Amino acid sequence: MIRIFVGSFLAVVFIGGLGLIGLAAGGSRSLNAYLILASLLFAIGMFGFLARRNAISMLMSIEIMLNAVNLSIVAFGGFVKGLGAAASVIALMVMAVAAAEATVGLAIIIAIYRNKKTPLVDEYDAMSQ
Amino acid sequence: MAIGETIPFTSIPWDDVLFVVFAGTMLLAAILVVTMKDIIRCGLAMMVCFGALAGMYVIIGAPLVAAAEVLVYIGAISVLVLFAIMLTQTKDAPASLVFQTQAIPAALAAVLLAVITILAIVATDWGALAERVATTTTALAIELFNKWVLPFEIVGVLLLAAVVGGVFLAKRERAEDSEHDGGPAR
Repeated sequence: MIRIFVGSFLAVVFIGGLGLIGLAAGGSRSLNAYLILASLLFAIGMFGFLARRNAISMLMSIEIMLNAVNLSIVAFGGFVKGLGAAASVIALMVMAVAAAEATVGLAIIIAIYRNKKTPLVDEYDAMSQ
Repeated sequence: MAIGETIPFTSIPWDDVLFVVFAGTMLLAAILVVTMKDIIRCGLAMMVCFGALAGMYVIIGAPLVAAAEVLVYIGAISVLVLFAIMLTQTKDAPASLVFQTQAIPAALAAVLLAVITILAIVATDWGALAERVATTTTALAIELFNKWVLPFEIVGVLLLAAVVGGVFLAKRERAEDSEHDGGPAR
């Protein structure tokens, strides 16, 4: 109960502080706010990819990074003259390639799991001498 | 009944409020994805993160991208990830340790990357418009099926190759079994 209370309090503080930063950067009407958000999301994804032990967690982090880049592309499309439709098309292409990547990546993880019986990447040592 | 541009009795536009709510939800869910111990909950937090991102696309003015985000990420990729989690988690070897030994250098590198990119973003003049321009689906379709039709077809072939490759990689090896049985493959 206490944990839920503290957690929701922290969430509210986090969102409020982020809102102040976002409004200082110009709110929803400036390109910089979206780009800063995308870079934060990319950094979170990069941390997850470098730090997690589970192969599927690493794949989820890659998805987060791809989405961060997609957000910046769509933001550019919204704010740069004459780029709107092309940016949306590029974002859709990135989504399709990300879907292909997720399919093949998860299939590889399942194939490795079948041999090694573990999803933890630090126990994959077949290529170390 | 139409609601106004701003929140009643204040001068704060609705867009800014929605932006802040979606941004906070997105970043919070992303942090939960990379830090939570239970990996099924990580997958569910990833769905929340992508839902908030779809809302962000709507605010920017790309509704078709938002719809594709909901369909592809929340609908397809998250379900794929959840199924893969269920296929690969073992009860006898629970991952009590979430992070690798390089977690602290990774966190430092991530913070450094964020700081550098934010400084670069703030220092650069992007020549951006003062007001965002929404992309209509009609304009998007005209662009996609005139100028981008070859990449569109190539993406279709890529998806086919990914489906075939995924099935090939994930299917079980049955050749030896059927030789021992002497019968057709089960």
